[in-house]
Amino acid sequence: MTAVVMHAHPAFGTGHAPVSATGVPSHKLGMWVFLASEVMFFTGLIAAYVVLRLSHPAWPGPEGHLSVALGTTNTLVLICSSMTMVMAFAQVQQDRQRSLRAFLTWTILLGCVFLGIKACEYRVKLTHHILPSTNVFWSCYYTLTGFHAVHVLGGIITNLWVLSLALRHRLTPAKGYVVELAGLYWHFVDIVWIFLFPLLYLI
Amino acid sequence: MSDSHAPASTYLWIWCWLAGLMLLGVAFSALPLSKSTIALAILTLSTVKAALVVLYYMHLKSDRRVLALVAVFPLVVIALATLLVLSSRLVTL
Repeated sequence: MTAVVMHAHPAFGTGHAPVSATGVPSHKLGMWVFLASEVMFFTGLIAAYVVLRLSHPAWPGPEGHLSVALGTTNTLVLICSSMTMVMAFAQVQQDRQRSLRAFLTWTILLGCVFLGIKACEYRVKLTHHILPSTNVFWSCYYTLTGFHAVHVLGGIITNLWVLSLALRHRLTPAKGYVVELAGLYWHFVDIVWIFLFPLLYLI
Repeated sequence: MSDSHAPASTYLWIWCWLAGLMLLGVAFSALPLSKSTIALAILTLSTVKAALVVLYYMHLKSDRRVLALVAVFPLVVIALATLLVLSSRLVTL
């Protein structure tokens, strides 16, 4: 079991915070372990997709029903949101409250844009009667993008909570780790899409 | 530690690299090359993009090494599991 000691840590300003024996703040270590479990989850799904694809001699593919332009736009949107999220963390460290709120709001809006575009894509496919049961490709597509969209939604809800703290002036530099932890999750969601986009749309 | 204050310009430069590499991948997918070559090139670009996000936006570059171990461990496990499945007689490729 990891020993927990209490001493000052720069990430928590001048306050005292629990730091594990590894020297990493406990919340941060916990978040990375959680993200490791999420990596297992998504990498397992992606590995299943790759094995299925390699084991099907006549892989059906999207057959022109996936828009590379929309996928590219969504990837750009998520990359932008990662940048605004890390900027929010930089702002809270320097106690720039207005900029912090602005960057958090941008991150949330960009996340909503991503989900909006994804919803449009789903709607078009459903109107063309393209369902998860259509073939193995669409089963994989709906599974991978569906789980990813749920994670984006989780990130948006988390960021809304962080924004509510910022609006109530509860996010001082000493509490900057809240933004950092939300950011770690958001960046992870971005990384998952960085791999899903080429696997489903380009290759 | 993650308290390293990377200047905003660093984050903007990383964003430029991410967007540029992403567009390069999209352009590459349209080239008249073999599927395996395109797949290898695009997945390499994706790995570079993921590394940039992890190192700079998630601050792993300046964080403690133990976090890198936590991040890499599941990838090693999945890689081994995938190799096991691919080498199994149960899967016909």
